[in-house]
Amino acid sequence: MLGYELSLALRGLRRFPRSTVLVVVTVALGIASCMTSLLLLHVLSGDPLPGRSQHLYLAWMDTLHRPPRVDTSGMALNGVSANTFGYRRLKREDAEALMRGRAGVRQAIVADVLADESTEDGTRHLASQAVLATSSDFVALFGVPLLHGRSWTVAEETARAPVVLIDSDTAQRFYGTVDAIGREIRLGKRNYRIIGVFAPYAPQPHFFGLDVGSFTGNGGENLLVPYTSALANGLMPMTGDGCDAGVDVSQTGASDPAHCASLSLWVQLGTPGQVASYRTYLRAYADDHPGDRGKTTAARYGLYGVRQWLDMNGVVPASARLNVLMASSFLLLCMFNVIGLLTARFLRRSTEIGIRRALGASRLAVFAQHIGEATLVCLAGGLLALPMTELGAWILRRQGDDFSPLVRSDPWMFGALFAIAIVVGMAVGIVPAWRASTVEPGLQVKSE
Amino acid sequence: MSLRVMLSTLRRQRLLPALVLLQVAVACAILCNVLFLLWHQLQPMVAPSGVDERGLILIDQLSGDRVWTAPEVRATEAMLRAVPGVRAATAADGLPMVTAEIYVLGLQGPSGAKAGVNAYVGEGLGQLLGVKLVAGRLFSPADYRDEGAKWGVPEPIVITRALARRLFGAASALGQLLHRPDALQGPGYQVVGVVDHLLRNQLGWAVDGKADNTVLLPERVGATPSMSFAVRVDPDHQALAMREIGKAIAAHFADAMQAGMTPQVGSFADRRDAAFRSRRAAAWLFFAVATTVLAVTVIGIMGLTGFWVQRRTRQIGIRRALGARRSQVLREFMLENALIVGAGALLGMALGYAGNLWLMRFYELQRLPWEWLPVGAVAMLLVGQLSAIVPAREAARVPPVVATRSV
Repeated sequence: MLGYELSLALRGLRRFPRSTVLVVVTVALGIASCMTSLLLLHVLSGDPLPGRSQHLYLAWMDTLHRPPRVDTSGMALNGVSANTFGYRRLKREDAEALMRGRAGVRQAIVADVLADESTEDGTRHLASQAVLATSSDFVALFGVPLLHGRSWTVAEETARAPVVLIDSDTAQRFYGTVDAIGREIRLGKRNYRIIGVFAPYAPQPHFFGLDVGSFTGNGGENLLVPYTSALANGLMPMTGDGCDAGVDVSQTGASDPAHCASLSLWVQLGTPGQVASYRTYLRAYADDHPGDRGKTTAARYGLYGVRQWLDMNGVVPASARLNVLMASSFLLLCMFNVIGLLTARFLRRSTEIGIRRALGASRLAVFAQHIGEATLVCLAGGLLALPMTELGAWILRRQGDDFSPLVRSDPWMFGALFAIAIVVGMAVGIVPAWRASTVEPGLQVKSE
Repeated sequence: MSLRVMLSTLRRQRLLPALVLLQVAVACAILCNVLFLLWHQLQPMVAPSGVDERGLILIDQLSGDRVWTAPEVRATEAMLRAVPGVRAATAADGLPMVTAEIYVLGLQGPSGAKAGVNAYVGEGLGQLLGVKLVAGRLFSPADYRDEGAKWGVPEPIVITRALARRLFGAASALGQLLHRPDALQGPGYQVVGVVDHLLRNQLGWAVDGKADNTVLLPERVGATPSMSFAVRVDPDHQALAMREIGKAIAAHFADAMQAGMTPQVGSFADRRDAAFRSRRAAAWLFFAVATTVLAVTVIGIMGLTGFWVQRRTRQIGIRRALGARRSQVLREFMLENALIVGAGALLGMALGYAGNLWLMRFYELQRLPWEWLPVGAVAMLLVGQLSAIVPAREAARVPPVVATRSV
């Protein structure tokens, strides 16, 4: 029976091709704009490390001896927010003490460093590449996919051993092979031995180094180096959250972790109990190291989960959500439009419906035929929306934001698009189909 | 046909007019907000820069491994002045269209009016930029002191006309004193000159009449972690001069640059282009949205009105047979459209405003000024009339003889 209604619906579509095209295009426009904005939001609000991120926490406390601030009124009047804690980073001394105090817990010091990389003879090189200066547990903690070799040991880290891990793209580019174990790479002003190769690793958002950018659409760090040897060789973190008062930054730069808060400390905590206990530990440490605030005021410290950290930093720009709302209201407009067009179209065949009804078709059958027609049109619109969404994604990719290259369609999108098309079809079909089904059988037959 | 008859027709056939009305309401609400967002993006782009743009080259992000000393800054200035084709060069702190470094300042006038401004600092910078003076004077060499020096007396300041109006109202700004809101007791600043325009470099804030919130201060750039320069060159040989400057910088700094930092050398036009890139993209997006909304609305209104005319063919025929003129029929349909669309636009204005208020609670969004609501409504009325013309003319063409058929 449903087959018959469907065949009637198809026939109906073919009857007025011009208005069918109009409806299909309108639906496609609405769905495509909605999908494009959703796609962007999906890319921006994704989980950077599925399965791991819920156990990762950023540990922080404020131990800086801060210089007095000046002229906050000028900043306020110009809408510049005085974010005094920056990216919640630590001085080296505190980060190392925190790690030592909880030897059983997986922790990693993380900082982004800029460096020129080249092969030993200098024939191949990469200028000003972002490099991750970190500690030995990073690979295990952040799930870096090792292809060859190993990560460095705590002993090597303490000895400031000149060892590095590089990604397979760089290995291929520099040495013509992915297995570059044992080769030397020049980093900044000295040589390092490659002890491991990992598959390109760039979680999005770039949550462990937001100072570099919320997203690393053009590739993340391609090299991991022990922070101890990086610092020993003058490779300083790119940015810092502030330095102790009285430090002459003209000699060391404003991000030397000896005096400036420029190292992030990430901790793996599996259970709420562990989280609570680490928080207590952090607080006790912060109480013992009051920095410039003296013992009287409360300690400033924090333990932030990945989701919370991303939200705190507004990683998903408000404009992305706004776009979704705007596109949804546009879809609503398209839907009202299509409801009107379909009503007009169905009522044009009032005579025909009257005859069907007179011949014994039930109201339900007429309703089903028309809602079927509406759904078919919207499915066709959804199909047309696919290339249009691709076009939208292409436009987004050309926008030059740091997340632009990441905007790609994925299977999730096709599913969502199909679902939206069906829901839209049902929604826009109800009113016109109901109007069509209320056509009185006798009246229409009589009048022609 | 009187308005009463028209309304009764509309009351009897509620669905189609209601659909047009809803469509117009949603379209109007979207349009008000999108046009406002579009204008917000466009404002800094259409604001006059206030500088002589031809032959102006801007350099920034000259960062070393350590902080540059004042003598190094002077030496770089001298090096740039020696490049062939260069007429003037000065180290600056804050430059138009250079958004990487901003110098923010709060100023308060005698009446208590406050303004947040961006300052441009550098020896002879006003003359080099080619700002247009409307009152007073620019700084003379004797005015300058090193950046960060204690003044003890009011520091001379050059402000823009818009800023003068905001801080001093109708009174003349020359000779008046300004203070930082957090240092009202200090010597403050004394206005020595007023320039026509000078676009601030915090471009996101160059909106709502704050585009010219810019001042010039007589300070000489000293030790700095990152040097910026304004260079005036022969406008006819700008490209050549720019290449020479690039070469000179590369030679002068060779190994002293901080790893990963590339000094940016660009003409004013290049800098402007780069500074507005994302803004331009956003503006195009909003423009496209506004156009699509209008197009979809036109399609909807045309389709529904056309169908409605078709349904009422006999009614029109009867009216024609009873003596109504074509022009009357045409006018009726246009008026009817205006009524429905007008009601939709009213609803849309309310919807747009409410939507904006609701969004403001969740996002850092500007409040939609009420002036924008009629803009959207008028646009909808025009679009409505435009899309009703074709169906209305069709209605007017219905011959009176239709009335006699198949009664």
